[in-house]
Amino acid sequence: MNTDVEENEDTATAKAADEKAEPALEAAKEPAPEPPEQTDDDDNGARRERRWPRVLAGVLVVALLAAGAVMYAAGRQLRDTPATSNRALTDSAATAQVAGEVTNALGKVFSYSPDGTDATKASAQKLLAGKALQQYAALFGQVEKQSADQKLTLTTHVVRAGVTRLTPDSAHLLVLLDQVYERKGRAASKAAAQLSVTARLREGRWTIVEITSR
Amino acid sequence: MNPRTRSLGGWAVLLVAALVCALGGWSYAQARGDDDLAYAKSRDAALADGRQALARLNTLDGKDAKSVDAGLAGWLESATGPLHDQLKRTHKKDAADLAKSGTTARGKVTDAALTELDDRTGTALMIATVDVEITPRTGKAGTERKRFEATLTRTGDGWKIKALTALGIGSGA
Repeated sequence: MNTDVEENEDTATAKAADEKAEPALEAAKEPAPEPPEQTDDDDNGARRERRWPRVLAGVLVVALLAAGAVMYAAGRQLRDTPATSNRALTDSAATAQVAGEVTNALGKVFSYSPDGTDATKASAQKLLAGKALQQYAALFGQVEKQSADQKLTLTTHVVRAGVTRLTPDSAHLLVLLDQVYERKGRAASKAAAQLSVTARLREGRWTIVEITSR
Repeated sequence: MNPRTRSLGGWAVLLVAALVCALGGWSYAQARGDDDLAYAKSRDAALADGRQALARLNTLDGKDAKSVDAGLAGWLESATGPLHDQLKRTHKKDAADLAKSGTTARGKVTDAALTELDDRTGTALMIATVDVEITPRTGKAGTERKRFEATLTRTGDGWKIKALTALGIGSGA
């Protein structure tokens, strides 16, 4: 618009006229190849006729933009749920991997025999980290003593394991375990244990960082 | 601007608008057709409904006959298929027994996870740990820890429990 006005500085009604797109002014500011004076009336009529397509095009543009925006927003809303960031079960390979590794780890660290406490301790150092290591140390101190004193053997195996949350580097699982306590010369006793486990992927291996008994 | 560039500009604006619309539509279609997204949503819905149903099936207010009836109605609402049939069959006897004992149970699911989900057939397998707070009519309250495996089925009214197994010790790997 500004450049239009500048071009027509000498025309007093340039701005107003330009807004209305008066044919005479159009002609004045743009010395078109065709002589404008002669086709004035024709041009006027043609322009009036041409205004409708222009209005229609404007409406169409607005409608298209609005429709695009609405659909984009609807798509975003579909995606924008906590469900998308959780890959438990949707990524079946990763889900199976973390469940398998945590199952193996729990079986190892919660199984001990009188002469195998060192091996259990070593695997705990490797498979547990952070808070889980402290929680385990508190528990293992007692059992280590008992295990040596009473010739206690504990075998743990996982009955069921389910992954509730899974992201590329962290996972939350519920693990149901059976534990068998054996003492020399006595009948074995069994116990059920349920653990909520948080694991983190460290150097390509799932490490248990938190254990909560349920 | 001469009329030609103006009309060209108009076409360009129209084209851009059409592109914006097409992009919006494409993005929406992608989200609608995303199988992983649909699967993830089913998973979350199944787990949430399953937890709720399991808590209800472990809850019963044994105060009087009326509260027992309401509790049993809640059980039936949370169950479907074989479990629903079974509960219906024993409904009368259950109501009489429970009203007589007057024990109140309040179940709370402490953790739960899906171990299997078939979105196509609408079935899922859920494991869960439940704390059941049991208050006898007379005497001290206590808490029982239980663990379950529940088979869930999608119904018109959300996911419900079709079969329920208490996973005792030695229930196998």
